[in-house]
Amino acid sequence: MSELTKEEPPAAPAAPPPTSVTPSTYLKSILGRPILVRLHTGVTYRGILACLDGYMNIAMEQTEEYGVGGELESRYGDVFLRGNNVAFISGDTKAK
Amino acid sequence: MSSIESPLDLIRLSISERVYVKLRSNRELRGVLHAYDQHLNMVLGQVEETVTSKEVDEETDEEIVKKSKREVDMLFVRGDVVILVSPPLKST
Amino acid sequence: MLFFSFFKTLIGKTVAVELKNDVILTGTLHSCDQYLNLKLSSVTVVNGDKYPQLGCLKNAFVRGSVVRYVQIPSGEVNTELLEDATRKENAPKKREVAK
Repeated sequence: MSELTKEEPPAAPAAPPPTSVTPSTYLKSILGRPILVRLHTGVTYRGILACLDGYMNIAMEQTEEYGVGGELESRYGDVFLRGNNVAFISGDTKAK
Repeated sequence: MSSIESPLDLIRLSISERVYVKLRSNRELRGVLHAYDQHLNMVLGQVEETVTSKEVDEETDEEIVKKSKREVDMLFVRGDVVILVSPPLKST
Repeated sequence: MLFFSFFKTLIGKTVAVELKNDVILTGTLHSCDQYLNLKLSSVTVVNGDKYPQLGCLKNAFVRGSVVRYVQIPSGEVNTELLEDATRKENAPKKREVAK
């Protein structure tokens, strides 16, 4: 192991060190952007991420609710989602 | 929305307004928000509860969606059953 | 603490406690604690025909976590006070440094 490291010294980054992406920095980076939220139930919400907190409670705007089969169920203006129901949050790349 | 820093602020702005609340086990509530806390425990007034259930018609084998409604003057709702809260004016 | 205080004001009043397993108990609220565990006296089971085993229930301790709803006599509640207390309890924390 030590020989290996001697032969190949850690490559010094030529460019400024890559800023590491953590869950928290990722979530900050999608604030105000279109997102997709999936709940444990399989229900999906698409809308604009207004803000969120450490429990993954989420405030969204212009929200569309899709059922488990992917069909549009309803639309809301503002929505609060209780964090314990959230499976994942993702940037919505397919948003118009 | 500029005044909102925490998701719970959205609910704070809905005090004494009618809100829509989606709960576990296919329940929905519409009512006036009188109180809430950080767990989303709530007290709602002039509540209409809708329970949605699905049944399969044995003859036609079709799924029938049944909605039963009831009205309650004032209701305390335990926060752990809450999925979603929305000011209902803009909702369908 | 808001709802603990709130339930304390309802002690002695008649409430209907709906549990997550759909059992509904009505009774007099005897006491409550910070977890919103409730003690009821003079209990009757509203949908009792579905739960004959609960027929002999007179006094009940209900663990807070199994409660779905509590139906409250609206005449006993000052909603304005309740809303003010809610605003106070959930007031946004002051930021030390303004941007």
